[in-house]
Amino acid sequence: MWWARWSIWIVLCAILTSMVVGNAFYQKKQFYPTVVYITKSKPSMAVIYAQALLFVVMMGKLFRKLFFGQLRPAEFEHLVERSWYAVTETCLAFTVFRDDFSPKFLALFTLLLFLKSFHWLAEERVDYMERSPVITWVFHVRVLSLLSLLLISDLYFVNAAYHSTMTKGASVQLVFGFEYAILTTIVMNTLAKYIFHVIDMQNETPWENKAVFVLHTEVIIGFVKVCLYVLFVMIMVRIYTLPLFALRPTYLALRSFKKALNDVIMSRRAINNMNNLYPDVTQEELANTDNVCIICREEMTGGAKKLPCNHIFHVSCLRSWFQRQQTCPTCRLNVLRAPLPGSNANVPNNAAPAAAAARNFGQFQFPGFAQPQGFPPQQAQPFAWGNIPGWPPQQPQQPAGGAQPNGDNNQGQAGVNAGAGPNDGARGAQEANANANNAAGAGDAGRPQFGAGPIPQFGFRFNVSAGVGGANQAFPFPIPPMPYIPMVPPPPPLLQTTGLTDEELQQMEGNMRENIEARLQCLRNVQILLDSAVVQMQQYATVVDRLNVNNASRTATTSPPSTSGTTDSRVNNNTASPSSSTSTSTSNNNTSSTPIDRQKSTPNGGAGDSEPIEKTIHPAATAGPSRTSQESASSSAATASGINPTEQDEIRKRRLQKFTNNTTAGGAQ
Amino acid sequence: MAGSALRRLMAEYKQLTINPPEGILAGPVDEENFFEWEALITGPEGTCWDGGVFPAKVIFPADYPLSPPKMKFMCDMFHPNVYADGRVCISILHAPGEDPTGYESRSERWSPVQSVEKILLSVVSLLAEPNDESPANVDAAKLWRENRNEFEKRAIRLVRSTLGLPPPDC
Repeated sequence: MWWARWSIWIVLCAILTSMVVGNAFYQKKQFYPTVVYITKSKPSMAVIYAQALLFVVMMGKLFRKLFFGQLRPAEFEHLVERSWYAVTETCLAFTVFRDDFSPKFLALFTLLLFLKSFHWLAEERVDYMERSPVITWVFHVRVLSLLSLLLISDLYFVNAAYHSTMTKGASVQLVFGFEYAILTTIVMNTLAKYIFHVIDMQNETPWENKAVFVLHTEVIIGFVKVCLYVLFVMIMVRIYTLPLFALRPTYLALRSFKKALNDVIMSRRAINNMNNLYPDVTQEELANTDNVCIICREEMTGGAKKLPCNHIFHVSCLRSWFQRQQTCPTCRLNVLRAPLPGSNANVPNNAAPAAAAARNFGQFQFPGFAQPQGFPPQQAQPFAWGNIPGWPPQQPQQPAGGAQPNGDNNQGQAGVNAGAGPNDGARGAQEANANANNAAGAGDAGRPQFGAGPIPQFGFRFNVSAGVGGANQAFPFPIPPMPYIPMVPPPPPLLQTTGLTDEELQQMEGNMRENIEARLQCLRNVQILLDSAVVQMQQYATVVDRLNVNNASRTATTSPPSTSGTTDSRVNNNTASPSSSTSTSTSNNNTSSTPIDRQKSTPNGGAGDSEPIEKTIHPAATAGPSRTSQESASSSAATASGINPTEQDEIRKRRLQKFTNNTTAGGAQ
Repeated sequence: MAGSALRRLMAEYKQLTINPPEGILAGPVDEENFFEWEALITGPEGTCWDGGVFPAKVIFPADYPLSPPKMKFMCDMFHPNVYADGRVCISILHAPGEDPTGYESRSERWSPVQSVEKILLSVVSLLAEPNDESPANVDAAKLWRENRNEFEKRAIRLVRSTLGLPPPDC
């Protein structure tokens, strides 16, 4: 087919050329006069040009076959698109150098265009390496030979242009030299990428630093390109005129360089943070969580990092993501703006002592500070951080004394953590908090705010100073954690951390007994606030539970007739076997003949409108479980909108067929 | 070691074949090229798209999952959030920084957390609940807002045409 199209042109050109040459030779009889005759006659020259063009195109096709084989559609599309730009820019360049216009000049431009297209194709091919499942040795041979050939030709032409410009003065050779210099940078870039890909493929494990190398190469190449373009434009402006044809590529080069530079700077900052500040994830932590990296969907076995928001990823995946964006992929926390773990410099005064106290907490379990307030020690001792993980599942079942066994457990934990060293203790507290999605303020030597996580409601609301300020008096603690508490404790006043008076701050500083007691007091206030928050949450949960129960019972009473039909249709979707299709059709007939459905379809009979039906259904079932009744409405909606039951069967049958066809086709693949 | 994009796509394909979500079918067009998928979406039940099977193509970039894929319906579509040529305009398919309609918040954009399955499920729910604030097909959005009956009629016609049935008589 391809040959059929081109063979016409080949044959036509061959005939024309032979006619022209034959005619000339017939007239002149000798070689030299024949050549002179042909070059002097314009129609003959046109034919010769056409023949030459065809020859070049054929050569191009041959080389393409040799080096690339079959082009992919995307490659071809890009090639055509870029060729258009190249051709228009070449035409613009002609206007500047119209004095130099000659067959040689034209030939050089054609050659340039061809070499350019091969550069583009080589670039695409190397980019494709990463996506291709199988790389054969033929591919390597092709790419390497092509790249070396292109590099040699580029350098040769640059050299030739340089000599020509030096000896004969500025001419169109300037443009060629510059163009080939740009092409050289492209070859270099492609070669670098190729080498990176090859190194990556040699290793069994992913090469972590690859993306960094690629990015840096891009920046360097981008810089060289920008320099070349700027230099060229300046020279052209000095000698000739403003080179319009070079403006677009100059702009593009500038833009891509700027982007690459920006990427490098931002990603370097993020990656730096990641390497130095974010904690490595230990094996136990990995074992405890679902250890699949959400970026690559592969298991994490070491080499993972935890972001300030407690999300865990592969280091290599994070690195490549940070090159695009400096956010957490899961919760979109901006890691460059997020408070950094371990940076004490800008921590507000009150958070640091609180964190310090949290670290030391395990050592101060003597009843001295708790009992004067009249609290039973078991309830005062469980420090708020330790308490949280145990609570959500346990609370509803344990009415009043539920906190006690919990308390004992957590007390032990806190003791262990503190015993392991201050830092570990704080980290332990942080881990314990991960469940509640509240990046504990006390974690890792203190962060400016209580909670940098995505849902830091309580953390933000109940500030340390709120407790110090007097929320202590506002709640009568302990509030027994019961399933139902009639009165919700009022939320504490929202005070800023700056609300601490200097006196109070001073009181908390130092190592004396009263200082420590002041800190503990502060912490206890935090605990009270957290406890009240948990109680509130519990109340919300019970309210929601009750609502759900109500809904479930209500829908259970309204929708029994429709369930059989819907479940069947679901089976129909999944299994997609002929037997189930028959069962569906029968059950469908059943449902459509039930009194409820008939009742629904009659009032809207010929209206052809499904909306009112849905409206009649909605009030009956409001929340999640309403799905079933909606589905039943759908079948009636279909009948209402002019599709009779037999036709509906037909639809389902066709749909089934379509699905089964595809599943078998997919399975065959 | 093959590229990370390829490995992730293979993992997603495996996941989709082992545990296929209801009403969605997706996989590479051919095993040579994992970066072009074909998907079949069934119209959400209880809407005017009920019963339809819509073929779509999903094209993945080389740096997937860092950049979002592109999705295009291969059948005629008349929907406020589908361009006339079939391209799907949904916020989770837009990388942060590009915003063709100017109505999206950063939090709804693409992130590697998303997957083919999530995209297709989002498109199914988009079929059920068009977002007429940032329409890709203005005519469809206008009809959807002003004359729901007519819109649903057109949708049913489309559903029937995807199944190879003649349009309804009325």
